[in-house]
Amino acid sequence: MFHWLEKHPFFFAVGVFLAISFAGLVEILPNFAQAARPVIGTAPYSTLELAGRHVYIKNSCNACHSQLVRPFKSETDRYGHYSLSGEYAYDRPFLWGSKRTGPDLMRVGNYRTTDWHENHMKNPASVVPGSIMPAYRWMFTNSADIDTAYAEQLTVAQFFSVPYNEPVPMKDGSSKVVKMGKSIADAKAIALEEAKVIAEDMKDQDVKDAVARGEIPEIVAIIAYLNSLK
Amino acid sequence: MNKLYLWGIIFTAFMLLLTYLSVGGSEGGLNGDIVNMLAVTGAIALVVITVFVVIKYVRQMQVDSASGELAQDNWDGIGEYLNEVPTGWAVMFFLLIVWGMWYFTIGYPLNAYSQIGEYNEDVAVHNAKFETQYKDIKGEKLVEMGESVFLAECKVCHGINADGIDGKAANLNKRIEAVAIKHAIANGANNMKTDFPGGMPPMMLSDPAQIDAVVGYITSGFPEGHKGAEAFAMGGCTGCHGEKGEGMPFVGPKLNGFDVATVASILKDGKKGAIGTMPKFEKLNDKQKEAVGAYITSLSK
Repeated sequence: MFHWLEKHPFFFAVGVFLAISFAGLVEILPNFAQAARPVIGTAPYSTLELAGRHVYIKNSCNACHSQLVRPFKSETDRYGHYSLSGEYAYDRPFLWGSKRTGPDLMRVGNYRTTDWHENHMKNPASVVPGSIMPAYRWMFTNSADIDTAYAEQLTVAQFFSVPYNEPVPMKDGSSKVVKMGKSIADAKAIALEEAKVIAEDMKDQDVKDAVARGEIPEIVAIIAYLNSLK
Repeated sequence: MNKLYLWGIIFTAFMLLLTYLSVGGSEGGLNGDIVNMLAVTGAIALVVITVFVVIKYVRQMQVDSASGELAQDNWDGIGEYLNEVPTGWAVMFFLLIVWGMWYFTIGYPLNAYSQIGEYNEDVAVHNAKFETQYKDIKGEKLVEMGESVFLAECKVCHGINADGIDGKAANLNKRIEAVAIKHAIANGANNMKTDFPGGMPPMMLSDPAQIDAVVGYITSGFPEGHKGAEAFAMGGCTGCHGEKGEGMPFVGPKLNGFDVATVASILKDGKKGAIGTMPKFEKLNDKQKEAVGAYITSLSK
């Protein structure tokens, strides 16, 4: 075999490449796989949160807001603990962003609440004087796309083994089960349950009425998503 | 004389001329400046040594022929001389082995540095400095610190003037507003769990007139002989909040004004009340919570 390889430099080069690649994979992959495991306290997105995530992407929130807290005192003072790679385990795609025109949102669920988001989305400058963020009033009337959110849930559960309907360990030692519907109607019912909790804390009567009718406005979905960022 | 040497000398002269011109000739700063002189001397030495070393080896390739004792092994006609290992090479070889061991075990830069390590050091240094610098802070200074924390963390909801931005959050310029009192009477309050573990059950008061009287009594600052005083006592408020709303540790918070303990307690647990939900502020340390308390207390005085 070696004599043959010696006389065929191309295949010899291929062999060398394979050997070195294998060595590289053995060294890099286990560490990488370890770091990419979800950290304790990171749960998959629920149907409503995923729909909100789609609203976030649709409106390009990530163009102005990052989701990545770097390990600097100045950042952790403002945004909380620096980000860990395992916290993005269920982010497809991750929304690190590349520029902070607005603040980082990695842990916004820790220090902003539903009613604040409602005021802020309606008119950002009313709570943050001088804010250049535009108002997102259409979110109060547009309906969230639960179908797509459910389709994504099904896909990631099947292809990436995202643990829906299974207990996920939380930081306080308890565990949390994120539900995924068995059918699209089931998924919509679950999302509506979540939406009712959010709408209860909101002031906008039109949104409350819509949720009572069984509709889910985008604002409810995106608030659910923002509240889940912890 | 070999042609090669001739070319070498011409090339050297040319390079030296270039060097001379590029530093600007004799007017350029060569006159008397020791550093420039040193640099030019170094440049001349480099050119001369490079040219003549190259010439030496080119000559050697031209005229030398291999000689010496051949090793017995022979690979397809390619042989090897039995030469001694050059001393300089051998010394360098062993030194490099020693250096390599040092580098892999101790000297490797990643062994000594990590970004998280630097972050942890930063935080430790900052916290230690904070501790010593603000250990005995009080009075005006504490209020000032509270104001700066307020402007960083609290103003997005409560507004720059702490007025709650048109009812979007609690107005902190007074202790408690009518809407919050009514909400607490109707729904109870279980916000400040850490400092008041018992919580507050929905109260016995149901008569709107009585509730209004209590609200009036509290918002007007517990005046002597107010008509709400009786309802306040009868509704069971005094049992936990005291006769004049002065509060009781572990039982009920102070209602006749802000104090540091009340504010710190709300910051610790967050709050869900008539207006909305306030998150807890775990990231503020105790001193900062105290400062915010002092600032908010100073607002309503």
